[in-house]
Amino acid sequence: MKIAVLQFPGTNCEFETLVAVKEVGMGGEIFRWNRSAGELSGFDGFVIPGGFSYQDRLRAGVIASKEPVMSALKEEAGKGKPIIGICNGFQILVETGLLPGSANGCDKGSGNVDMALAQNVMVSQGKIVRRGYYCDWVNLRHEAPSKRCSGSFAIERGALLKIPIAHGEGNLVTTTPGLMKKLNDEGQVVFRYCDRNGRIINEFPFNVNGSTESIAAICNEPGNVLGMMPHPERAFFAWQLPAFDPRKQRPDEPGPGRRVFESMKRYIEVNA
Amino acid sequence: MSMNQKINLRVWLKIPDAEAATVKNTLIRRLGFGNALADVKKERLFSIEVDSGDPQELARSFARELVNENKESHIVLIDELKFEEGYVPVKVALHIEDGEAISIRERLRSRLGFDNVVDVKKATVWKLYFNTLKPEAQMAAREIAERLLINPHKDSYEIMSQ
Repeated sequence: MKIAVLQFPGTNCEFETLVAVKEVGMGGEIFRWNRSAGELSGFDGFVIPGGFSYQDRLRAGVIASKEPVMSALKEEAGKGKPIIGICNGFQILVETGLLPGSANGCDKGSGNVDMALAQNVMVSQGKIVRRGYYCDWVNLRHEAPSKRCSGSFAIERGALLKIPIAHGEGNLVTTTPGLMKKLNDEGQVVFRYCDRNGRIINEFPFNVNGSTESIAAICNEPGNVLGMMPHPERAFFAWQLPAFDPRKQRPDEPGPGRRVFESMKRYIEVNA
Repeated sequence: MSMNQKINLRVWLKIPDAEAATVKNTLIRRLGFGNALADVKKERLFSIEVDSGDPQELARSFARELVNENKESHIVLIDELKFEEGYVPVKVALHIEDGEAISIRERLRSRLGFDNVVDVKKATVWKLYFNTLKPEAQMAAREIAERLLINPHKDSYEIMSQ
């Protein structure tokens, strides 16, 4: 089982992502964006890690989305292989049109962009209280049924995960008519920001970036492509958790982010 | 009848603009505009509406706050917005709430005491230089805007007149 962790100029989470991939028992390597794109077909799954590809020039993810490697990745997505985009990886997948995507959207050449991850605007009681880059630990509620999506395949609906975010452009917006209803109806909303009890409160500090309906992660229609703003690789081990979390004192325990990578592995095993 | 005036600040880098270079590179290497496109430059545009005061004097004050003279140049246009010949100006702005423009308005009004500021709008103007004639250049500019410069779910664009 071999995973390619894609690296663009400006990616900065590829090494810890590769550690997470290997810790759950998958093989993997870092795949530079300028390698022959055809080599991607030799991998069983893909992670586009976080960072600032091309320094977020123009807007986050858009320059990387035009690279030939992304056309090849679309073909791999069409074969049903799992792809997880984390933070900047999510932004790249949106700008490529792989998310929210559809069964047909995985075809090469389809490049409809159906949403944007806009600049963060934190709103509380009707007022903008902050904007721009923000990093913090957030609580996520798993919204999709288990087995709906590659990156949460082994996570039960309603599960709560504490995972950090660090981004300036994670505010999901769309003008596509009916898209939000479709995402909700078809179980494509994978994680939402919530409070520590799992309640969705659609304002800052619970909704950390102003995202529509507090959405933190979505998958495509077939479920093999997941995009998420939070960084599971930064909560993979319990020792990575913040000092106020009691699990940090039990460093041998897995961190909550591990479940995302375990899900990817399970998805590949089941769909092999 | 409204007496409001609009102060337009066109601001550009004096030093090399890495973002414009990346956009040019992507258009030529990835999107097939190598034959048509000669160069890409970029400006920031602030449009500040005021309801009183000498606009030229206000423009100098606003420029002190919004322009870093160490690395940027600017020009001021009052109640008009025009561009030079030789390129196609494409104005890109958010059509969703622009948090940065709101912050600038509040900073000018509340923290710097410019009570006469009514509204602030912010945009990026991409200056696209083409090797082709004007009708083809305008069509190419639209294609560039839609394929790269904007995400239609948050941005809108306008080809500006010269």
